[in-house]
Amino acid sequence: MGAGRRRVASPDQRIIGLLDTSPFRIAIVYSLVFACGAAALLGVIDFAVSRVVDRSTDNLIEAEVQGLREEVLVLSRSEFIELIEQRSQDQDVRGAVYLMVDPQLRPVAGNVPAWPSIDRDEGKWIQFKVSVPFGDETRVHEMRARRFPLPDGYRMLVGHDIQERQDVKHLMMRVLIAAVVSTLLLGLGGGIWMGRRILAQAGAISAVATQIMRGDLSQRLPVRNADDEINTLAREINGMLDKIEQLTLGMRTVLDSAAHDLRTPLNRLQSAAEGAMSQLAPASAERRVLERVSTEVDHMRGTLDALLRIALAETGTVARESVDLSELVASMVELYAPVSEERGIKLESTVAPGAQVQGSRQLLAQALANLLDNAIKFTPDGGHIRVQLKAGGGGPEVVVEDDGPGIPADKREIVLGRRVRLDEARKFPGSGLGLSLVAAVTKLHGARLVLDDAGPGLRVSLRF
Amino acid sequence: MHILIVEDDEVGRDYLANALREVGHTVDVAGDGLAGLHMASSIAVDLAIVDRMLPKLDGLALVQSLRATGRKFPVLILSALGDVDDRITGLRAGGDDYLTKPYHMSELLARVDALARRGESGNAETTTKLKLADLELDRMTRRVTRNGKKIELTAREFQLLEFMMRHSGQVVTRTMLLEGVWDYHFDPQTNVIDVHISRLRQAIDKDFDKPLLHTVRGAGYSLREDE
Repeated sequence: MGAGRRRVASPDQRIIGLLDTSPFRIAIVYSLVFACGAAALLGVIDFAVSRVVDRSTDNLIEAEVQGLREEVLVLSRSEFIELIEQRSQDQDVRGAVYLMVDPQLRPVAGNVPAWPSIDRDEGKWIQFKVSVPFGDETRVHEMRARRFPLPDGYRMLVGHDIQERQDVKHLMMRVLIAAVVSTLLLGLGGGIWMGRRILAQAGAISAVATQIMRGDLSQRLPVRNADDEINTLAREINGMLDKIEQLTLGMRTVLDSAAHDLRTPLNRLQSAAEGAMSQLAPASAERRVLERVSTEVDHMRGTLDALLRIALAETGTVARESVDLSELVASMVELYAPVSEERGIKLESTVAPGAQVQGSRQLLAQALANLLDNAIKFTPDGGHIRVQLKAGGGGPEVVVEDDGPGIPADKREIVLGRRVRLDEARKFPGSGLGLSLVAAVTKLHGARLVLDDAGPGLRVSLRF
Repeated sequence: MHILIVEDDEVGRDYLANALREVGHTVDVAGDGLAGLHMASSIAVDLAIVDRMLPKLDGLALVQSLRATGRKFPVLILSALGDVDDRITGLRAGGDDYLTKPYHMSELLARVDALARRGESGNAETTTKLKLADLELDRMTRRVTRNGKKIELTAREFQLLEFMMRHSGQVVTRTMLLEGVWDYHFDPQTNVIDVHISRLRQAIDKDFDKPLLHTVRGAGYSLREDE
């Protein structure tokens, strides 16, 4: 648990984390929709505008062709040529182009230098490019025109400069693309910004949650001065934490008062018994009674200590530190080795180095001591006890196995509850709280306690 | 030695005062935190025993004020609270030792004794060579000899002996050993400490006429030269 399990985000993971945030996804979807919308809108405008403009240009040319067709019937050739020349130079009809050619396609009149090579031939309509003077330089302009035959093999071309229209179209196309691209970029940027905000908020929340899980109930989620969903949620969670802290502190106060109200009279009793004992002859009957009293006080203290520690562990408010589990297990084994040797019990241990957990060293030591006490108590003389600390990938695991009578499968759940002593165990000393305390300490450390059959004997596993 | 007891439980306080007087200490008592602070500032106190929960001024606040005003005499904190974290808070507030009720008088006397001697020989922690009769321990070379003869000890036995030698002549209880040598604060159900001591005894006393490591009935152990 603790530091070991916390994911440390590499840059890659951070980006993937960002892509996973809902604001980023929403932003991407929105910007795609907006981009499509913008594209469609501009497409429609472009289509509509070009239709109107094309139509009006075409109508203009159409009308001019119609007019000239009528003129050619009534005018002589020279008059017609003059008319063409006149129209070609007419400044009022900007962009209009005329060309009259003889049967050999040589220009006769008009403002187009030569019969053009045709880019696009739509049958009736043709499009071609012509260099036109533009101030000091010349530019190539696109023209749209119609051709029609004149008498005697002469041919006529009437058209209009559509370069400006094409320019507008190209500009619109560029604006369209720019709009789509910038919508996408803005959406992406906004998504990243929002995603980072959410990630930062979520990160702050999860950091606080980790501290709270470690027992620091005074921590609160960061709240910004805004009424968005996350802040509202954070405020509500903080309210809940206030309540939990209040309850836990209340529980601790109750525990402390209970401890005080029980320990004080016990202390008087102990002091009174010991004080009286010192006045009595060593083997007197009265002294023996007082010794009994003193021993009972010791038992009561033992039970009280265990109950208080269980309750304390269950409130989850025990201060935590980084505990070197390897050192702890090794030193507990070392502490219990001589006493088991006295009983002819072989206490073997394999301890993986470097296992760390976040928690209470004293409570962990107490839990291990209870397990070893139990193991030694129930293992017959000459038996075996095996203690292992495995440093697996998921977290360290402590296993204590003995070859004592074990605990029947149907009773393994029950013994972890408070004050359960199996009938078979009554002949052994103890408060019956040993395994309950182990269970409470295990839970406090977010570990899993499993009782199993060691075949024969009991196998207790604490997986952190 | 002049001992100040600040404790609001009268019955417990009287027993404690009597027990301390019986072993030859001068005892003053105060029933609340403010009276305790007042007395600690006005009379020459060698050691104070302070209950953690006191009326008027909390025990921890009392110790903190004493430390803040430069009073350096050792303080033993008595507590009737839960435990685990309370001990650390008590020591952090400026207490030198911490004992949870109910306690055995022998345990309390042993701790008072240890605190008092610690005050006397303040530099005992830094001495590299410890010596008792013909038993010598060198903390630098980690060598133990008795009557010039080298004694082989495990690392833990060495620590245990070092602790006993630093408290030579005093009674050292099992809990003091578990705290001082192993840094554990609980009562094991089995007699783990006794077996460690008997191994140490095997090592240092077995081949010699005069035993140095003695069992003090009902209290603990003592490393001393018997008269």
